[in-house]
Amino acid sequence: MFLRMIRGTLLRQWKKMLMIAFTIALGASLAAAMLSVMLDVGDKVNQELKTYGANITVVPKSSSVLNDLYDVEGEESAGAYLREDELGKIKTIFWAFNIVDYAPFLNTQANLDDGSEIQVTGSWFNHHMELPTGETLDAGIASMRSWWELKEGLWLDEQTTDENSAMVGAELAEAQGLHAGDTIHVTGTAADLLLHVSGIYDAGGDEDNQLYVPLNTAQALGGLDGKVDSIEVSALTTPDNELAERAAKNPASLTVAQYEIWYCTAYASSICYQIQEVITDSVASPVRQVADSEGAILEKTQLLMVLITILSLIGAALGICNLVTASVMERSSEIGLMKAIGAQNGAISGLVLTEIFITAIFGGVIGFLAGFGFAQIIGHTVFGSAITMKPMVIPIVAVLVVLVTLIGSIPAIRMLLRLRPAEVLHGGH
Amino acid sequence: MKKRQMYMRMITASLMRRRSRMLVALLSIAIGATVLSGLITIYYDVPRQMGAQFRNYGANMILTDADGSFTLSDMQQGTAVIPADALVGAAPYRYENVRIHEQPIVAAGTDMAGARATSPFWRVEGEWCSADGQILVGANVAESFRLKAGEMLTVSYTPETAQTQEDETVLDNTIDLEITGVLDTGGPEEDYVYMSLADLETLTGESGTIDVAELSVSANADELSSYVDRINASVPAVKAHLVKRVTASETTVLSKLQALVLLVTIVVLALTMICVATTMTAVVTERRKEIGLRKAIGASDRSIIGEFLGESMMLGGIGGVLGVVLGYVFAQQVSINVFSSSIRFQWLLVPITILVSILVTGLSSLLPIRSATEVDPALVLKGE
Repeated sequence: MFLRMIRGTLLRQWKKMLMIAFTIALGASLAAAMLSVMLDVGDKVNQELKTYGANITVVPKSSSVLNDLYDVEGEESAGAYLREDELGKIKTIFWAFNIVDYAPFLNTQANLDDGSEIQVTGSWFNHHMELPTGETLDAGIASMRSWWELKEGLWLDEQTTDENSAMVGAELAEAQGLHAGDTIHVTGTAADLLLHVSGIYDAGGDEDNQLYVPLNTAQALGGLDGKVDSIEVSALTTPDNELAERAAKNPASLTVAQYEIWYCTAYASSICYQIQEVITDSVASPVRQVADSEGAILEKTQLLMVLITILSLIGAALGICNLVTASVMERSSEIGLMKAIGAQNGAISGLVLTEIFITAIFGGVIGFLAGFGFAQIIGHTVFGSAITMKPMVIPIVAVLVVLVTLIGSIPAIRMLLRLRPAEVLHGGH
Repeated sequence: MKKRQMYMRMITASLMRRRSRMLVALLSIAIGATVLSGLITIYYDVPRQMGAQFRNYGANMILTDADGSFTLSDMQQGTAVIPADALVGAAPYRYENVRIHEQPIVAAGTDMAGARATSPFWRVEGEWCSADGQILVGANVAESFRLKAGEMLTVSYTPETAQTQEDETVLDNTIDLEITGVLDTGGPEEDYVYMSLADLETLTGESGTIDVAELSVSANADELSSYVDRINASVPAVKAHLVKRVTASETTVLSKLQALVLLVTIVVLALTMICVATTMTAVVTERRKEIGLRKAIGASDRSIIGEFLGESMMLGGIGGVLGVVLGYVFAQQVSINVFSSSIRFQWLLVPITILVSILVTGLSSLLPIRSATEVDPALVLKGE
């Protein structure tokens, strides 16, 4: 009988029930969309912030003192290099997944035919790596120097061009009258090479007076086989907190539990620490200019989205509450009739609640799917990539829908139960 | 006149008598209007507020010499072009090779307050320099010479006139400075020492010139390039450049963020508007009986529609006003919590919010009213 009554309501009053389901679907879709976007916005903005370039630099221990402070040059600074064969290890650390991009650098001096001395930097452009995990990664400055403006020609493509290619800074190109497609003769300390100019870039900085060549070419010019000056790493990091700052100074000062938390969180300092573990004689340090700003911007964006989400959740909740209350109240005459023929309060509440909940579940599921769609639209329009769906959104939305439906229907039901059947049926309340 | 009075009375009376029902509708309209005004205020303010956050990346414009001698007054002429409220900080830098413990080191003379404003990412262990006679040492320098905050440091400089002499150290200028802090940036700054411009001038014996000035300007890409053009055109003594790495990236990230807030606003807005519409539909559908009764005693469709429309538009108006106030409160709270600064009130939003909320409630009740008036009064009254 109970089931028959419910089926009867759902079938006969389907218009009204559809409206409730529609409102609940709207609210649920809003909640699902906002929660998904909010939970993923950190990762997305973090990716965008990678346009600022590396947030971690790795240099050999004591190289800074030798090269920069004492102006030592050439062979005397031997030993102050990192090893090229260890570069792949960066992708094997605990937080390997968070390392988005990295590139090694090797600086060497060289002379042009007119006698002028220039700095030649060897690096990866779009270095293709097969990782032990089976993944592949294209790393290098083509993506890490996204602010470089290509004036002429193309980015040097390591896969298709031979090693004797170079990219020339705008100011150097102007001074030497170089254009894309020209060749340039460069004499290094160990070899002299004829390089093919593949492109001319404008970096808006010191790099405009330099020559960028593939790493092996720079090693050949400087006679520094297998050596690397520094590595720039672009990693997704968690903003530093007090623990991370303490750990950065001295990881040994932490308790075992704290150490584990720190080591297993993607702080810039713990990633640095892990890089130092795999690269011999290296010092990895966060680039404060990038790391700190990223932290601040990420935090602000997330907080902003949290607050907007809360506002829209409140809006959705109140909207649903409203409509549920309204639609329950409308049925006063029907409920009056039920009471008149002897229905118990419990039976009436059970009936109304079950009806509403069947509708709510129906609306909630549809709303959730629609919300997921909205989230994807936002993700694709703004960030050009899909929003990852976090499983925790499902229970949150479910709890929200149930709670809101309950809160919306309880006061209405209580009011209905207080009605006197005679008055309602008479039509004069 | 009489007629209008009656009309107003009917509308207000209807609103007052069905108080609880109307309050529910009003609440949903007010929420819709709050979302509208609150989110749009935030949308307009995000670039300004986030822009301030992006200034953490440091200088986005540098001034260099254009006419052979770059002085502090040249720099001031340059910075004067930029409006005071957009200029976050400006710092002059002069670099000289000095010696510490007989080792060559690059020393920079600057204005410490300016440097602190243009480079908020500098982390100083100890204190920032607050007066002349003090020095900040880079972390690498501090490590190699085992220097700590609080110690005195002798810095020496060989003037150009003495550099040709046999025994140059005799003619060295020296200055004793107190180390107030160790500078940690993760960048090349860690290899330098920083002192006030006045101290560097005393040390070198030459004054007046600087090498470069760093400017941190809170502005979007177009404004920045217009400032650069204006400085280059109006101040012949300096040449302004943008720090491409910072400006290009800021534009990318900022535009994405604004697009995100815009899209979110549109989605939330569309959904709340539909919510308002469904509520209004429910409110009107409920009153079919009343409409039937009115028709039975001879009211024309027009007058019924006019009356109901007036009622819902009045609701919309009140909800809109509430929404403007609540939306501003919400935006202000968000701004204070997220950015710790107050929000700029968009006056234009007041009429827009109220108008939109009147329109939405009016339109969303129009359809159900029309369908209600088409019903045969006899049927409605009979309860079928």
